[in-house]
Amino acid sequence: MTENILEVKNLVKRFDEKVVHRDISFFLKTGETIGLLGNSGTGKSVLLRSLIGLEQIEGGEILFHQQRIDHLSEQQLYPIRTKISYSFQNAALFDSISVYENIAYPLFEHSRLTEDEIKVKVRNILKTVNLEQAIDLMPSDLSGGMQKRVGLARSMVLSPEIMLYDEPTAGLDPVNIEMVLDIMNRFKKQGLSGILVTHDIPAAKKICDRILILKDGMIGFTGTVEEFENSKDPFVQSFLGQ
Amino acid sequence: MMIGHIEKNLKILGELVMLSKDFFYCMFTRPFYWGRLFEQIIQLGVGSLSITIVIGIVTGLVMTLQFGYGLAKFGGTLYVPAIVSLSLMRELAPIFTSLLIAGRIGSGISAEIGAMNVTQQIDAIRALGTNPIRVLVVPRVLSTVLALPLLTTLSAFMGIIGGFSIAYAEFAMPPGFYINKVLSTVQFTDVFGAMFKTAFFGFNIAIIACYRGFQTKEGTKGVGEATTWVVVTTSIIILVSDFFLSKLLILLFD
Repeated sequence: MTENILEVKNLVKRFDEKVVHRDISFFLKTGETIGLLGNSGTGKSVLLRSLIGLEQIEGGEILFHQQRIDHLSEQQLYPIRTKISYSFQNAALFDSISVYENIAYPLFEHSRLTEDEIKVKVRNILKTVNLEQAIDLMPSDLSGGMQKRVGLARSMVLSPEIMLYDEPTAGLDPVNIEMVLDIMNRFKKQGLSGILVTHDIPAAKKICDRILILKDGMIGFTGTVEEFENSKDPFVQSFLGQ
Repeated sequence: MMIGHIEKNLKILGELVMLSKDFFYCMFTRPFYWGRLFEQIIQLGVGSLSITIVIGIVTGLVMTLQFGYGLAKFGGTLYVPAIVSLSLMRELAPIFTSLLIAGRIGSGISAEIGAMNVTQQIDAIRALGTNPIRVLVVPRVLSTVLALPLLTTLSAFMGIIGGFSIAYAEFAMPPGFYINKVLSTVQFTDVFGAMFKTAFFGFNIAIIACYRGFQTKEGTKGVGEATTWVVVTTSIIILVSDFFLSKLLILLFD
């Protein structure tokens, strides 16, 4: 039986008086990708950020390989963040350094590879996102789609166990969407687990094994893609209509 | 209203103390980014050389001109080298250079870190398992603490050279006399005092600029507000703390 690589139990998140998540519980199995849907402002990205401690939670538990990580200090979370990687909506590339330096950054920080070995590794990861030719360019020289692919490459370069995708297809043209989805599918086939936050229902259906929908600070729906598509619940159907 | 204002400022002070604590922790623990430190020294220090030299020379020129004509009325032109060199080394060079650095480097640091914050680059540093204080704050604060005293010394030196040229050209003061007067007036403790003060100012400028950068919200508007806040706050801190530091140095060395 596949183990739960990540588990969230009764998570509570508030911003001052505003309760974003009142009771969120779900799990992610090894090799599985789940889609996290919800209307704007329901806290999808906040939930994703909370999973790796970029946001402090006010209650509940987050378990990675059955070990609690929600109470860890920032310092203790650093090694966890090399195993649970985050792909930002806007790619969040370091704009003062080149594509090579962006992708090499985590390798210089966390690996004992030589500079030559790092160069080879960066070239290889860029090949997987079809951007080998962009290695010496600056982020400002790249289109939005290319930036997202570089961001994916940077998140993948340490070979994480889980990838958190924050709206990877938002703002992209259909060609770039297909490219990004293709890359995500390849990562999935390599055994990478993932959580995809998106408004892009076709993308979620294409990539995900299960769908979770946030509603009123809780999980309003959870089920397989098939159950999602066949649901008679008007709330779920409102997403299918998008 | 008043209590709210005090509370807000105490909160800022507390957060600054915490950031300073984290800075010292990161400075004395591994990994230390030597490359980033040298990069910052070149960017912040070497990049400020030309403006520092200009300010130093011009201050020396103007001071000598004003004191030269002012003291000539009382037959005191001979005191010009001592007055100019001492005031440059003790007060004018440290204050002018620090205010200049607060404007140039302080605003630059807060704008850069602020822009990184609003574009989630700081989050990306954290998400990649690295510490933004180690990566961004330590090199910037340390480079400012190291560069500002050196820039100040250079500024004072250029001011003395400026004074020398005007004293010779305008008041026909013999070069040997001017140099002797400067060397016998300016003591090691004056140079040390200037470096000590400016190291303190440099720390404040950079740590406050980094702090405000991390607090920046609301996009480009927030970045603009942050830079203004940093220049105003650090300028006030430099001017006010200069009085107390000068008093302390006089008590210790005079």
